[in-house]
Amino acid sequence: MREPNAIDFWRGFALVTIFINHIPGNFFERYTFSQYGISDAAELFVFLAGWSIGLATRGRDGKPEPRLITVLRLLSRTVEVYRAQITIMALALAMIAGCALYLDNPLILEWHNAGGFFADPIQTMVGVVVLTHQLGYFNILPLYVVLIAIAPAVVLIGRVSRAALLAMSLTLYGASLVFEWNFPSWPGEGDWFFNPLCWQLLLVLGFLANEATRESERLRRLWRSLMPLGVVIVAVGVVLAVLELRPDPMLAPEPRLVFTFDKTYLSPARLIHFCGMVLAFQGVYVLLAPRLGPLARFLSGLGRNSLAVFSMGSLLSLAGQFVRFQTGGGIIVDVSVVGSGLFALGFTAWFVEWRSRRPRPARKAPDAASPSSA
Amino acid sequence: MPGSKLYTLARLKAVKAALKEKRPVRVLSIGSSSAGLGASASYPVKLENALEQALPDVQVDVEARGLPGEVASGAGERLRSMVAEVEPDLVVWQVGTNDALARVDIEAFGEALEDSVKWVKSHDIDIVLIDPVFTERLAEDAYYTEMVRTVQDVARREAVPLVHRYAAMRYLSTRGTTEVHMLGRHFRLNDLGLRCMAEHATRAITLSLLQPDAAKLDASKTDGSKADTPKADAPKAEPNQAGAPPLDPAQTGTPGSAEKPAPPKQP
Repeated sequence: MREPNAIDFWRGFALVTIFINHIPGNFFERYTFSQYGISDAAELFVFLAGWSIGLATRGRDGKPEPRLITVLRLLSRTVEVYRAQITIMALALAMIAGCALYLDNPLILEWHNAGGFFADPIQTMVGVVVLTHQLGYFNILPLYVVLIAIAPAVVLIGRVSRAALLAMSLTLYGASLVFEWNFPSWPGEGDWFFNPLCWQLLLVLGFLANEATRESERLRRLWRSLMPLGVVIVAVGVVLAVLELRPDPMLAPEPRLVFTFDKTYLSPARLIHFCGMVLAFQGVYVLLAPRLGPLARFLSGLGRNSLAVFSMGSLLSLAGQFVRFQTGGGIIVDVSVVGSGLFALGFTAWFVEWRSRRPRPARKAPDAASPSSA
Repeated sequence: MPGSKLYTLARLKAVKAALKEKRPVRVLSIGSSSAGLGASASYPVKLENALEQALPDVQVDVEARGLPGEVASGAGERLRSMVAEVEPDLVVWQVGTNDALARVDIEAFGEALEDSVKWVKSHDIDIVLIDPVFTERLAEDAYYTEMVRTVQDVARREAVPLVHRYAAMRYLSTRGTTEVHMLGRHFRLNDLGLRCMAEHATRAITLSLLQPDAAKLDASKTDGSKADTPKADAPKAEPNQAGAPPLDPAQTGTPGSAEKPAPPKQP
């Protein structure tokens, strides 16, 4: 079990933010950092995923592990994430259906795009398994599956040449913005909520940031010296968010997506704002950690077990939405929902680690000299 | 339905322009998920067929999208992106369901909705609103009724056509029917409401198209779709009244039977 560190801490922070943001209308939503900038926790999550892929594919001594091991490791991770996605989709659909039955209220079936499943399970079932049909607020994991699936390519190309990796990634990103390429949603029209062709850039940036700063002292100093620029960008973001200034998509010049603040296509504005945030907050953990012991441990624990915590968080936020619906919301409800949710997330993290820590009892070999073993 | 109307009409300039220029009418249909048990996710297809039947010799392309999330917290942004991407002549927006489920603040919802409607209009695109579904569980829910009223208010203030789905379904729920649904009558009503919605919306659109340019009229004069409404005492001299109410369960799914070819001149 890793010591609390910056990556796990921020990942835990992202997970908590995502959990709160997935209970819309709740009291705490206005205090999450997504309201004060134009990028949000999804960017943070993907960037840190990229960073940790860089960490995971090196041995303890920092030397890159053999290629085959990398590919197999990432493949098995892909399977794990895919499994989690299917499980939580099934549970979420069951929760929605169960709630509709229990409350005798068919309106609930419409929630989060689930109505499509109940109307036409035949096509939608296939869509769920192929990840082209996504429930609202459950869009990050399908993206994650795709990104981890291409991660072996990212890592291996990166080992050969980082510049080539960056160039390829940027080209794909740019082309997708200009030509509006995206993965389609099916059944139904429209595209994926998170466009993997664009969001892969963020994964690659996370990976490269780790690679670059690990080795070169010069780059590390450059990184640190850019912090004031990061602060400026974050300040601009706060102003834009608070004043709700956004470019009008109809008036934006072609190619439209380059100039709007689009989450699906990870518009450059959002990307730049996120990079600003990374630069501005890079040293914060080191400053805060001594002062925030228990909190740092809690968030790091969440970050270490991010898949389990994210899955539970998605389901808990759905349950939270039902509770708010039935009780009408209000601050007491919100506090108890969010509070119990955070407690449950912490428990999930602890439970997952407890399970992996428990040593399996060693099986005793049958005694060869025993008369009954004949 | 004493005192209530099925729709509020208003001018639809962009669609009229498309008709004049003889080009296909692009419609963007936005809803939460446009489905219920057994009812069609084919609402967009139905809408397209119904519109094409009502407007002979006109090609209609309906593009259907879901709009996840609440208007009050960001769905407005996605709406703008979608509209910019599709560039329709007409937006048909089923609004309010997600926000009602999330119990967002009604004022915030009203403002965000009004902003979005204003934005669509400012780009010379027509918009028709459809208010939320009615379900008996929420009949007495003050918040929900307030939400429906907010949608109606915004439609009135912004002078856009509104399909009174809530009122229509509320009326339907009081009528008996032999149709059964395995999960009980609330699910059946939902089913029915969704099946009728395409016709309902089409009627609102075609009647709005017939609005003279000078003024916007209320629907009470032209409400010819319900032959057996208790409000039949209102003078209804409509010779072109549909033979059977389109909301009769036995006839849903066949828009042709209820629809008449819309003569350009209505008495």
